[in-house]
Amino acid sequence: MDTLTNFMNGTVALFSDPVGIFIFFGGVIGGMLFGAIPGVSMLTLAAILLPFTAHLSPEHGIMLFSVIYCTGVYGGAITAILFNIPGAPENAPTAFDGYPMTQKGQAGKAVGAAVTCSAIGGTISAVLMMVATAPIANWAISAFGPPEIFALVFFGLAVASSVGASTFWKGWLSILLGLLIAVVGLDPVGGIERWDFGMPYLLAGIHFIPMILGFFAVSEVFVQVEKKAKGSYHAPKLSVDFPSLTELFAQKIAVVRSIVIGFFCGILPGIGATLAAFMGYNEAVRWSKDRKEFGTGKMEGVISSETANNAATGAAMIPLLALGLPGGALTAMMVGVFQMHDMEPGPLVFLNSGDLVWVVFSAMFFANLSILLIGYLETKTIINLLRIPFQFLAPLILLLATVGAYAVRGLAIDVAVMFAAGIIGFFLRRSGYSVAGIVLGLILGRIGEQTFAQAMQMLHFEWTGFFFRPIAITLIVAGVLTLLGSIYSSFFKKSE
Amino acid sequence: MKSPMKILASGLIASVMTLVSTASYAECATDSLPASMDGPGGFSERALTMIVPYGPAGGSGQVAQAMAQAVTELTGVNINRDHKPGGSGTVGMTAYMAVPADGYAVLEHIDDASSAHALDSSKPNPATDLIPLVISQITFSQIFIRSNEDRFTDWDSFVEWVKAQDGKATIANVSKEGSMERVTMKAISDATGMTIQQISFDKGAPRYGALAGGQVDALFEQPGDVRKFLDSDTFKPILTILKEAPSAFPDVPSLTEAGLDIEPLYRFRGFYVHKDAPADRVEWLQWAFQKAFCQQSYQDFNKSKFMHLIESFRDTEGARELITATIGQYRDVYKEMGLDVK
Repeated sequence: MDTLTNFMNGTVALFSDPVGIFIFFGGVIGGMLFGAIPGVSMLTLAAILLPFTAHLSPEHGIMLFSVIYCTGVYGGAITAILFNIPGAPENAPTAFDGYPMTQKGQAGKAVGAAVTCSAIGGTISAVLMMVATAPIANWAISAFGPPEIFALVFFGLAVASSVGASTFWKGWLSILLGLLIAVVGLDPVGGIERWDFGMPYLLAGIHFIPMILGFFAVSEVFVQVEKKAKGSYHAPKLSVDFPSLTELFAQKIAVVRSIVIGFFCGILPGIGATLAAFMGYNEAVRWSKDRKEFGTGKMEGVISSETANNAATGAAMIPLLALGLPGGALTAMMVGVFQMHDMEPGPLVFLNSGDLVWVVFSAMFFANLSILLIGYLETKTIINLLRIPFQFLAPLILLLATVGAYAVRGLAIDVAVMFAAGIIGFFLRRSGYSVAGIVLGLILGRIGEQTFAQAMQMLHFEWTGFFFRPIAITLIVAGVLTLLGSIYSSFFKKSE
Repeated sequence: MKSPMKILASGLIASVMTLVSTASYAECATDSLPASMDGPGGFSERALTMIVPYGPAGGSGQVAQAMAQAVTELTGVNINRDHKPGGSGTVGMTAYMAVPADGYAVLEHIDDASSAHALDSSKPNPATDLIPLVISQITFSQIFIRSNEDRFTDWDSFVEWVKAQDGKATIANVSKEGSMERVTMKAISDATGMTIQQISFDKGAPRYGALAGGQVDALFEQPGDVRKFLDSDTFKPILTILKEAPSAFPDVPSLTEAGLDIEPLYRFRGFYVHKDAPADRVEWLQWAFQKAFCQQSYQDFNKSKFMHLIESFRDTEGARELITATIGQYRDVYKEMGLDVK
């Protein structure tokens, strides 16, 4: 009852303030647009807006970012489906079947499925978030220390190890490459300079946003340029036929399964929507009778990925609010918004700023509902991007990607990293390695290394100390079993 | 052989640090400067750029925002902040040294620049390779425990408890080896004879969460950064790392009261311009940044961060003295610790 009352109070506070309403709809539309425009993403929008949030009230600033998070995760699906350019890593599996659907002239159905299932996944996740966050906040900070978070990262990597790669081993090699890249820069404990080759700028490490832009956007441009040069390029067919209710209802099991997967993954600090999307897609393939149809333009693939990644958005707010642990780049920026207003995400937010939290919860709930309404209208327009001739679209994508890479830290080296990743990604993609796995390794590698070092300090450099922390050892055992199962499957399938 | 504690007690810093233990100042440090000053040759006819080697959300980002606002209020000149985080300030410093020395770009930096030069003299010396415009924040550190902690309640019982743990006690601290925090904590450990494991957290939120959640036993931090935890009675200080207790913390023992013969190191943040910038522009920038320190908005900001408990202001010469003394002090400590001082 308290939850409902708080939700109603948050809703009233949100929609009784004209400035709040303006910021809410600005965030909804901005998140969708920046998620959908090739080369930029919700992260670009967030990075641009971050300094300006200092001039907003804490409620408006944090609400704006939470709304952008919900709609931006969905918006990234548009470019994944239309151009094979995921707006973010969490949209990568959407491209596996979404892009083939576009090539088959079913772009409207793919986008329509993404709109509907993103809204369903996100809305249910927002409801679960409202019910679950407060209880979790009370125990999470005592239950989750560095050993537990390291164990979560290990488990997350184990689960995601083979996604996007042609084999288990290539998946792991991709992740290991990402982990290797993550050690560039100062080490997180002693400040030791590593792999900087005498270049001070490398001391800041390799940022994952230029890597994402390079691996997905730039390398896709290279792929299309190659096709153009060989004369095998075909402009995608245009269609705005959305899926029927019957077609969508037939996917109900996939939706429910992906909501469960997405919410669980979203709770894992530092992992969130990316793992959710990959696991949602993987499980859809695993449970399907028509496995061979995945990757050729099967709507269930789009639905599973998009339901799961949006279901992770609400869940990702739990470790952020309860522990102060961001689940990804955008939630990390939300920490910055909190701090700009002299606040820290964590249990004290519930004690000291309960009103703010419920405005954010309400905003996320309605932002997900808005995807249904505004998404249908917006995508009718966005799909027309397919009409732009490739020779005009490709330079635009590269320009936007360059701006996006530079905007993150104002460092020219990030642009160089992006183009290097584009070239490497161009060759890796045709060899069965997972560029998404590299990005996942890079993102989780930083968190994993830091929490491992902290855990070892806390455990007085006795690794057996993990055995005496029930949550940590449970996750590590689960990760090891997952790995062993994957290794067994890879050999078993080979012998078959 | 002198211990790091004794080196810290050399008194070098004390000669340049004039600490005033009072809650507020009736007069501001730069009230005597002229209320306005014309820029030389129309300087600055365009916006200044302020390179900040840390993210917008942290302590440096916040002081940069507050100072930029105060300078703009005073002079009407806009300042664009360009955040270049990474490498413990190295990336921002490198980027700044590469921009034209025309006075249109200024740098925000903290005492990490001094300790970095102390360890490796090839890195810029903020006192000689740059011209300090103003140091606008100087603060001290404290050791905190949870307010509801029942294993120990004050400094004496904490030290006794830590000694009984045989090295198993933990304190959350920042990560970099040789940082002010880690050097100071080592000196305190040596002085008390206790062994405590320092856990490296380079971000504030996880560091504070670790204490609140009982993952660590204590926290080393500056009071302004944990003010909300103090206001909510979640944390409480048990030791002030100053010679004399400031008026805001009269009941928390100082180093002297705790019987610790060590000289405190300070966290300080300031603003700089390249040494080769035109002298007349430097003079105007010195006036603008020093005068802006006394703008009401900046004073309010410093007060909200507990930066008014000791004198936070240093002009160019005062800043040079502070930086030079700090570098010397760090260098002595590093040599004593066996670090490779270049």
